[in-house]
Formats: sequence, structure tokens, C-alpha cells
Amino acid sequence: MPKDQGIGASSKRREDVRFLTGKGQYTDDINRPGQTYAYFLRSNVAHGKINGIDTSAAASAPGVVGIFTAKDLEAAGGVPCGWQVTDKHGEPMKEPKHPILAEGKVCHVGDPIAAVIAESLNQARDAAELIDLDIEELPPVIDMRAAISGGPTVHDEAPDNICFDWDFIADNKEAVDQAIAGAHHVTTLTLTNNRLVANAVEPRCAIGEYDAARDEHTLYTTSQNPHVIRLLMGAFVLSIPEHKLRVVAPDVGGGFGSKIYHYAEEAFVTWAAKAVGRPIKWTADRSESFMSDAQGRDHQTKVELALDENGKFLALRCETLANMGAYLSTFAPCVPTYLHGTLLSGNYTTPVIHTNVKAVFTNTVPVDAYRGAGRPEATFQLERTIDKAAREMGIDPVELRKRNFIAPDAFPYQTPVAVQYDTGNYGATMDKAVAMADLDSYAARKTASEAKGKRRGLGIASYIEACGIAPSSLVGALGARAGLYEAATVRVNPTGNVAVMTGSHSHGQGHETTFAQVVAEMLGCDEANVDIVHGDTAKIPFGMGTYGSRSIAVGGSAIVRSVEKIIEKGKKIAAHLMEAAEADVTFADGQFSVAGTDKSVDWGTVALTAYVPHNFPHETLEPGLEETSFYDPANFTYPAGAYICEVEVDADTGKVDIASFVAADDFGNVINPMIVEGQVHGGLTQGLGQALLENCVYDENGQLVSASLMDYAMPRADDMPSFGVDHSCQTPCTHNPLGVKGCGEAGAIGSPPALVNAVVDALSDLGVTHIDMPVSPGRVWAAIQAAQN
Amino acid sequence: MPSISMTVNGKSVSGEVEGRTLLVQFLREDLGLTGTHVGCDTSQCGACVVHVNGESVKACTMLAASADGAEVATIEGMANADGSLGVIQQAFQDHHGLQCGFCTPGMVMSAADLLQKNKNPSEGEIREWLEGNICRCTGYHNIVKAIQAAAAAGA
Amino acid sequence: MEMQGERLIEASRNEVWTALNDPEVLKSCIPGCEEMEKTSATEFTATVVQKVGPVKARFKGAVELSDIVPGESYTISGEGKGGAAGFARGGAKVTLADQDGGTLLSYAAEARVGGKLAQLGNRLINGFAKKVAADFFDRFQAVVQGDTPEAEKADADAAEGGDAPPEEQKKGWLKRMIS
Repeated sequence: MPKDQGIGASSKRREDVRFLTGKGQYTDDINRPGQTYAYFLRSNVAHGKINGIDTSAAASAPGVVGIFTAKDLEAAGGVPCGWQVTDKHGEPMKEPKHPILAEGKVCHVGDPIAAVIAESLNQARDAAELIDLDIEELPPVIDMRAAISGGPTVHDEAPDNICFDWDFIADNKEAVDQAIAGAHHVTTLTLTNNRLVANAVEPRCAIGEYDAARDEHTLYTTSQNPHVIRLLMGAFVLSIPEHKLRVVAPDVGGGFGSKIYHYAEEAFVTWAAKAVGRPIKWTADRSESFMSDAQGRDHQTKVELALDENGKFLALRCETLANMGAYLSTFAPCVPTYLHGTLLSGNYTTPVIHTNVKAVFTNTVPVDAYRGAGRPEATFQLERTIDKAAREMGIDPVELRKRNFIAPDAFPYQTPVAVQYDTGNYGATMDKAVAMADLDSYAARKTASEAKGKRRGLGIASYIEACGIAPSSLVGALGARAGLYEAATVRVNPTGNVAVMTGSHSHGQGHETTFAQVVAEMLGCDEANVDIVHGDTAKIPFGMGTYGSRSIAVGGSAIVRSVEKIIEKGKKIAAHLMEAAEADVTFADGQFSVAGTDKSVDWGTVALTAYVPHNFPHETLEPGLEETSFYDPANFTYPAGAYICEVEVDADTGKVDIASFVAADDFGNVINPMIVEGQVHGGLTQGLGQALLENCVYDENGQLVSASLMDYAMPRADDMPSFGVDHSCQTPCTHNPLGVKGCGEAGAIGSPPALVNAVVDALSDLGVTHIDMPVSPGRVWAAIQAAQN
Repeated sequence: MPSISMTVNGKSVSGEVEGRTLLVQFLREDLGLTGTHVGCDTSQCGACVVHVNGESVKACTMLAASADGAEVATIEGMANADGSLGVIQQAFQDHHGLQCGFCTPGMVMSAADLLQKNKNPSEGEIREWLEGNICRCTGYHNIVKAIQAAAAAGA
Repeated sequence: MEMQGERLIEASRNEVWTALNDPEVLKSCIPGCEEMEKTSATEFTATVVQKVGPVKARFKGAVELSDIVPGESYTISGEGKGGAAGFARGGAKVTLADQDGGTLLSYAAEARVGGKLAQLGNRLINGFAKKVAADFFDRFQAVVQGDTPEAEKADADAAEGGDAPPEEQKKGWLKRMIS
């Protein structure tokens, strides 16, 4: 019988009640007394020199409280980058300043130039219309190849527009070159991983407030990691001591990576709230989100895979151009490097791998991590290339993958790209997916599709990802300017109920439910007695937040460590109460007992005693029952799985319909199956959106022409199928206490190649070998025409 | 500024608004009904769906003045009289039809309008009806299940 | 984007050329033009109201005539700033040639937009720009030929653009010149 509480139960989400009744509190729902409104005047050219900004007419417009430009912010630092990559010459990456408001030049459409603060948003916007900008337009560089081939320069610091030129692993290069030169077969594929916009349905919002009497700043912001924002903004941008700066990230309406980063608008409203002496709210409209939220992906790659006559992989070589956009966003440099190069072994035993990544500045919105971040790019390269190799060599695509899977008994497995997989069973998830997809009757379905005049295609993909980010010592060696542990405080109240303060941040993941399940399981109490507190630096210990599928694996582990300490202290109190030796006290089902006796005290008595210590061994034990832990993982976690997609393609129109999609994932242990499945559904849809629909497009002048939800094709209900998902193939993580791996990004990583492989399969007899994402009707139709001519 | 009055969730309300004030701004800023959300500026996302005179409407596409005299229902009015979740709301919780919750008010209001018009919609009909509501979290799978369950429960 | 077109105008080449250089004519022919002032022999300032898809804006900017070969050809170009709506730039190379029954006016126009216009109206811009260019030369033809009904029709088509021009501007240009 399924459990109805604790680990493994599909507990209903407690946070749903407020969201379903309109009582959620998102940042834009907050209004502060005396609040004013900020409007940012943004560049509408991609590249230009600012010759003058005349704000005089705007300053006298109705309701205007203040107008600010870069010269007002001279004392402030730039928006910092949190990761430094060292290039193949041993040089640090080029790191041009990213000012809060544009200093002398604009580098992308949407670059903020001036900010107007007024009594109402309409007044701020109206006044901004009166600002006279004198911008001398410069030729922009949009295309990455043009950027590195003598195109216009975005920043003087990087005359060739190359931020860094990175070899990984440099020592493998010669072996890879030799293996490819002498191989039985080499499959080559050039592909683009299309630029995406995260488009969390809640636009970004920030409210700055300053309490002069206490000299305290507060920032309410749509963030996935309030402490990271406090540290970056306080220490690097505004020089506000951390103890005088509170950052609150209340209910947040989705992030998908785009709300990790510290943004200029957050720094501006925090700074300006003091300058004008009143709270300031800024809320992006969707057009502004398109021009100012960090975007995702945008890699161009050439892949070469060497195989022997039996289809065994011998070597892999990948050369990538990765678009950084106009400035380095917070974690941008790590995406195409350490979140990408390290995953190029995939689920396979490829013995030698080499990749070169050139990160390129262009006059476009900055690019950073988006759901999966680097791992979808690596997986797409591998899985598309393997599929092409299978077709070229006449080997079944499932069989070719299986021949190269790392065997279940080969773990821990050291890859040639630095990481060590702790555990996995890739054949098991592939077998599961094949069974779920009912491939035995595929031929009949194909015939049925053909009878309707459609072509049917079958696409297979495996994936592995490195998440549970991440061991601080490892990421420090790789260039991170922060640690990536997580913190949790568990506070038992005198009456026995529990508050958990976690550094993880929930913006849809359901932590308030899942984390309570973990604590309730360990304490043997009802979940309702456990409250999860997150998102406010004034309430929680210093934590690193939520991204990289890290919350349960790292944040959950920190909670486990704190609960373990609570239980240990409870045993000491219980031993004292029962006059027993501490070593003889056991804890189970909410009762402390003395082994081998009928003596026990309940949880409530121990909790109360901790806070009413009238009879307490003060010489050996402090009152209170509250513990904090900082958990730093020993390794990444490595979720993996196999996805199978079937499509129907109308060759006359190029329209692709997803006929079915099944996903077999290994997430290790699962705390709440309902929530895990929901995460997979969402990830799959984002991946399928990338593969089928979404594309962020700039024209040759750098105008962002897909900057509304009318033109940027988000997946909608009628674009998607119902999914078949399974997480029963479990190889628990060996190095965290819950045996969990994380499930947030998997769907977005494995699904794009499964879909594209299916479309190519449907069209392969016409001679189509590849179509870049999104496989829109126009592209499919053009690929058919090109293959036939 | 013109004065307007309307009934929102059964209560009479009134206010003075600029001509350009949208219904969603009036609900959120003047009435403090922040359950109705703004997710875009082109009437695409559907986070702002409310009912005006019984029909689902994108409140970002209607001027507040255009709703003068109307009966408006928002997510805040969807719970049962005792405060417990209504049938559709309960189905969304039971079937995990929401994650971040931001699109949810619009989804629930759209679903309610669908189920008024079609007591027993097929999966395809539900998906087509939700074309104007974007959810970035759930992949729609569990939203569809929730609406089917709500239909079965007689919503 | 680039657009081409031609019109056979029932007037002499000299009459057409004169009209092409008359700010009153240009003002009445530029769809949505609210104001136009001559600031030099070849330069004008103008205010034009336009609506592209969901974006409506009042553009303020300059119109310039260049590459002038009297009686034969010139390039008319303009740049307008529409505040939050972004900017629009465009130009047309206009060439005149004698032809039976009048003057053949050929144009090759190009247009570029930026900011919100590009973001929201991109799908519509090509069609929109073609329509604006065609409207301009339709109106021009009507004004020069004195086809009042056509000119009124063109104005009605562009009524989104703003206030209707004064009544006398709808009269044929030639008629006004001689009345």
C-alpha cells in the first residue's frame, strides 16, 4: 500500500492552497507605504555610442521623483560575473564591465540607459518619453562567426570578440585526433542549439526600500537565490554591508535559470530607494523580459564521432561557438564549459574526448543557464550524432547505444572528461523506455500513419546529467567564485512542532511539501507539524538557492544533517529524563526509548524539556533544540534515462505532431512521486518546445524580432501530448544521505534529441539527415525539398 | 477621471480610473485582488483571465471602464462559502495541476468557463480550450487531468 | 525590406517633379502626416502618426531630399523617433520618365524599424511598409491628377493615422495651383 505521509508518499502540495485561492504573494503583489515606480528607458539599437542624454524636459513632467543615468551611479560597481574560466593559453576570460545603466555606449537592444522614478508607473513611462537621447548608431555584430572573423567589436577588452578560447581536456587532443584519423568510421554533424527565452510566466520584479533610521536596505525580488543576490549586490555592486541588506524572494512564479542571476534592475532600485528616500517598485512587462532576462543555449557545434567496425565509440571531438551576448551574466562562462564539456561522455564508454569552446561576445541580450544549462547542449550533440552514426552504419539505434553504455558493474566510472559517475544502469532505463513505447507494434502504427498520408518517425535518446550542484572544492578548482553547499536550520519549538529554514528556494518545485515529508519521516511526526521557511535572508541561514536540480540532493541533505543532530540532542535529553545511558537510547516513530526496557519518553516531552530546562544537566547540555548544518556534496549526482518519441510528419506542409512520448528516468530515490512526475512533464515540455517551436531571433541589425509571446512560440496545451513517465529504475546516489539525484532538468535535457531523431527518422528515406531546431514546418519542408533536389 | 462601479465576486465596488486603466490594473491595484496576474502585454499568456458577466475574459485586454456595471468574478471568489477549495481548485491540487502557481488563477478561471459550456470535454477539447493560457511549469499534462477530474466531479 | 513600384501619372514630367518638391503635397501624401515644415531647401521636419499591429505611435523626425537630379530623380528619406514605440527609417529612390499619357514614376523604397515596433510588429512590418509606400504614391498620383475621390479614399484608408487633413488639401494639387 502506498504511504500517505513521509518519504515516498505523493503528499498533496500544501502551497497549492494559497496559489489556488489567489493568496500567493509574488513580488508584484507587494506594495510598500509611499512606494514609487521605476521605468527604464532602454536602447532600441543594438550598438551605439551615447553622445548625450537630456533629461531636463522629463524632470519637470508630472509626478517625477527622480531621473538617473550612469553618471549618478559612478560609485557603484558593475554587475559581477560569478565564474571565471581560464582559457587555453592560461589567460583569464575577458570580463568587460557590465554597468547598471549604460556608460557611454549601448551594447544590445534593451540595454538600460536611464531610469525614471515617479509617483505612478504611467507617469514614469510618460516622462521617459520626454528624455532626449543622442545615440550614434554603430555597426552591430549579431552572428557569432562574423564576430570572430573581423566583425565589429563589442568591447575594447576583447577586440576579436572572444571572451575565452577553452580546450578540454587539452591533454586528450592528440589521442582524439589520432583515433579519428585512423577510425573505421567517422560520423560528422554540424548543428545549432537554438537560442531560447526562459519566459517564466511571472515577469521579473524588484522593490527597493531603505530604512534611514536603521540604515537598512531591503530588496524584494523575483530570485531563485536571495543570499547569492545579497552577496553579489552588497559586496560587489553597491558596497552595502551584508548585515544591512535584506533580500526577500517571496513566492516566485517560475525561474528555469533566468532568475538565478543578479540583474541591474535589482541593484538600481536598491540604490535609488535610498537616493529618493522612498520605496521603488519595478515590474518588467513581457517585452522588457525578452530584452533583459538572460537568454539560454545558442551554441553552434561541429561534432565528430569515431567508431570501430562494431560500432564501439573510439573518440569524440566537439568544436563549439557559445554566444555570451553583450555582457557576462552571473554564471554564463560555466555553461558552455564545466556544465557542458564534462558531460560529453554521456552514458557511454568513449575512451577519449576533446572539446574546444570559444565563447563569443555579440550585440545581443546576455546568455546564461536555462533549464539544463550546458547539459542539453552536450546531450543534443551526442544523441544526434549517435543517431546519425547508427543510420550510416546500419545498426539499430537502441542497439548502438547499448553496445556503448557503461556497464552497471563499472561504477564508480571515471570518464575522460573529469567527472566520476557514482552509479547508474543505463540499459535498465532503455529497456524500460522500449517497453513503455510498445515498439513491437510500431510497424502497425507506422502503417496507420501512412494510410492517413503522414510519415511516422521514431526517435531514441539517452541522457545523463550532472546535477546536485555541486562540490565546492571541485567548482572552486573550475573557476567558481562561490561555494555550492546548502544550509538548513531545523528549529524544534517548545511544543514539538518544527520550523525548517532552508537556503533552497521554491519557485514551483514544491519544497514546502517535499522537505516536510523528509523531516516528518525522520522524526516520525505528522507532516502538518513541519513548516518550511525559505526565501528571506533575514530568516534563513546563508544558502545558495535553487538551480541545477540541487534542492533535494544538496538542500535536502542539509536538512537531513540538521535533523540527525536534533535527534542526537534529543537522545541526550531523553537519556537524562529516563536516567539512562545515552548510548542505550533509541529513537523511532516519535518516541525515545531505552533499548531492552519499556521506558520511553515522547517527542513532545523532550522538546518541552529542552525549552523548560528546570531539571537539566546544564554542565553538559545547552537548553534549546535547534541545529544548523551546511552540507557540501562529495560529488555531483548523475540522473540518467532513456526517452522515446514518436512523431507524425505531414511532408506536404512540414508540420510535425508529437504522437507519443515516453520517459524512463533514474533519479535514485524519490521523495514525492507526484511532484517528480510533474517536474518531468514540465522539463519534457520545455525540451520539446525547444525542439519543435521556440526560437529567439535577432535580425541583422540586432533587433529582437521574437520579443513577444505572439512571435516567440511557447508550447501550448494543444502542442503537447500526454506523457508516459516512469522512475522505477532506481540506482540510489551513493554519496548523499537520501540517495536522491534530482529531477528538475532531466526532461529538458533528453527530449530535444529524441524529437529531432524522430523527425529525421520519418524523413530519412527522402535523404534528410539533419534539421536544426526548432523543426518548424518551414524548416521541415525546406529540408525535404533540399534532400530531394 | 471617470468613476466606475461593478460587482466583483458578489460585492459592489467603485473607483476612479484613468481612461487607459486596464481591468486587471483596477482589480490588482485599486481593489487589492492580486490573485489575478499579469504575465504578458499581448493578451497571450492568460494569467489574467477573469469572468465578466459569466464569460472568461483576459483582464489585460479590457479597459476597467469597459467593465463598468459588469459582474466580475476572480480567483478570489472561486472557493466554497466555508473557505474550502471549490471543485476545480481541489482537482488542481489533487492532480498536481500547478507548480509555481502564477498561471494558475487564469487556468482555473478558463477551466471554469469551459466546464460551464461543456460538462464533459475530451482531452483534445480541453487542450484546444487552453490554447490561450500558457503554463511554463507543468507541461499541461496534469492540468488536463485536473480538468477531466473536475468534470467528472460535476464542476 | 525593399519595395518597388511604379505609377503612370497623367501630368507632365515637370508638373510631377514640382509636386515632388512641394511640402504641402508631401504632407498630404505621407500617410498619417500631421505636420510638416520646410527647414531648408531639401529638409523638412515632420510628425507622423502610424499604427503597426498593436503599436501606435507619433513619430517625430526629419525628412530629407538627396541625390537630386532636377526633373528626373531624387531620394526621399526620413527617420522618425516614436518614443517607447521605437524608431522607423525609410527612404525611396524616385525616378521620372516621359511616357505616353503622362509621366512614369518608379520607386524603389526600403524601410527599417527598431525597438518595440520591431519586437511586436515584425510579422506585420513587411506588409505594412509596402502598404505605406503604395499609399504614398497612390495619394501622390491622385493629388497630382486631381482625382479627389481617390485621395479621399486614400485618406480614409489611413484614417488610423490621425486627424484628417484640411478639406482643401483633398482638392487636386493642380486645381489648387490654378484656383
